[in-house]
Amino acid sequence: MFLQLKKHFFITKVMALLMLMCCVPGHTEPLIIDVDPTLTLVAVPDFVSASPSPIGGKALADVIKDDLYFTGLFKTPDVTLNIPPAASGEPDFEKWMEARVGALILGNFSTKGEELTVEVRLYNIALKRLEVGKRYTGNLKDYRRIMHRFADRVMEKLTGVPGCFSTKIAFVGDSQSRELFVMDFDGHNLTPLTRTNSINLSPDWSPDGRSIIFTSYMRGNPDVWAVDFPGLALRPLSSRPGLNASPRHSPDGNYVALAANINNLPKLILLNRQGNMVKVLTNGRGNDISPAWSPDGAAMAYVSDQAGTPQIYVMSSQGGQPKRLTFKSNYNTDPDWSPRGDLIAFTARVEGRFQICTMKPDGTDLRVLTSAGSNQDPTWSPDGRFIAFVSNRDGRRLIYIMDSRGRIQAPVSPITGKSPAWSRNSW
Amino acid sequence: MPSRHVKRGIFLLLAVLFLASGCSRPIVRQPGPIPGGPGGLAVGGPIEQDLQVVQTTLKPIYFAYDSFTLSPEAQSAAQYNADILKRAPQFGTVAEGHCDERGTAEYNLALGDRRARAVVEYMVTLGIPPNKFSTVSYGSELPVDTAHNEEAWSKNRRVYLRVSR
Repeated sequence: MFLQLKKHFFITKVMALLMLMCCVPGHTEPLIIDVDPTLTLVAVPDFVSASPSPIGGKALADVIKDDLYFTGLFKTPDVTLNIPPAASGEPDFEKWMEARVGALILGNFSTKGEELTVEVRLYNIALKRLEVGKRYTGNLKDYRRIMHRFADRVMEKLTGVPGCFSTKIAFVGDSQSRELFVMDFDGHNLTPLTRTNSINLSPDWSPDGRSIIFTSYMRGNPDVWAVDFPGLALRPLSSRPGLNASPRHSPDGNYVALAANINNLPKLILLNRQGNMVKVLTNGRGNDISPAWSPDGAAMAYVSDQAGTPQIYVMSSQGGQPKRLTFKSNYNTDPDWSPRGDLIAFTARVEGRFQICTMKPDGTDLRVLTSAGSNQDPTWSPDGRFIAFVSNRDGRRLIYIMDSRGRIQAPVSPITGKSPAWSRNSW
Repeated sequence: MPSRHVKRGIFLLLAVLFLASGCSRPIVRQPGPIPGGPGGLAVGGPIEQDLQVVQTTLKPIYFAYDSFTLSPEAQSAAQYNADILKRAPQFGTVAEGHCDERGTAEYNLALGDRRARAVVEYMVTLGIPPNKFSTVSYGSELPVDTAHNEEAWSKNRRVYLRVSR
């Protein structure tokens, strides 16, 4: 299973790189948007161990390589490139520069029983200097987490914004009973979260990462439940008659917006932490669902079919006059507001199939990011760099991730699933 | 006209087949009519005591894509069901709203909810007391036909009536 995934991953990667290369000549937009172009090529030679070890230096380097690849901001050399250090012990900056490498990541490691110690350094080749060096000690089985953590620092040094490689994605498994799962953002360390033997939908992380709220039919009606870490105890949050659907934490974690039946119609309501209703947010004759908080908590995008077809609207998060944002398609759903505040991702029906799009919060600058298969359920990474979504492009429904412009798109979930939700915090 | 015993035999056989075929999707057992199932209720008669017989006689009510309004065909299916439920007033009814797989899960929940409520509202106009009904939306989570084509989609856009004591 895993091998298969890895292989698939690789093919997608090669294709994406080829596409990138083909695009370069006629492309009007710069490929690198927020880093110095000289840093585009990042070399990550296999890490070095002085003594035999149960883990290979390639496995360690590959975690960082894959992380950087996903961003769409960097390239790694096609072949493993290594240049012996200069006499001083420093990297041979001149030679690396000749190889057009902009940044270099070197690591060495040792293991003692279950304990892994890694030293990693990031060098800026053009400036011939060490940007950051870290030493980590941890359990061998947590090696991916350790490498992700350093990759987060690499992103911070190279772009000014830390990476989100230590985050997780929750999603709904696609098997007979729709249980919730959690995995690392890149699909590793898959962990089951629920055993309700019922339909579960729409997971949403609390901002502190201590719980996930979701809709579950475990008692017959679609109610909102919370599952708390680390014990995975379940507690009911909202079980009003009718729908209790699409729950979403406010950015400060103090409220939950969701859809519930008010005078028979699905409307957005606001609950406090205890699950008591604070207020009804929407009115009118449409079905209202799928609230998406702006990162400052002041505004809320949502779906309503009050004009006859499902469209995305925005209003104050306290309710009030809504403004319609989408007009191009007759089916626009599932808004998710970027943590950077600058974009709203959503699903639109384009020529009969569903595609992931982004727009500015005023409805302008519409971009369609996907084209193959049907694509749904976008969710932003906490740094606003990536979007996770569901695609059936290779026949099965898998969770994919892509950068916010859709240049790199790759499947990550080791099992079929839907409704991804990206955590706000790191592990 | 088959005897009551024969009817029961057919029903039990079908029920076993139904449950066996349902094993691949253990989440929620799908109610609804069985093709060729007992149909004595459709032609009038006394108050029916057997919940299972009432259940298997009811018809699904189908909807157009993205729609929650009752077409003339849906209205006649609702009328047929109302006639049966009127003669079994001791039972309550859950209207289950379903959608096809297209579209997003959350909006489909709202759409399924509206379909279920549209059926209830219509059947109330036909004389069934509103307090006999409750609704639940399953969105696109429980297709009867898991194929990805028009034929399957048209079967999946439905409201099922599930009777209970």
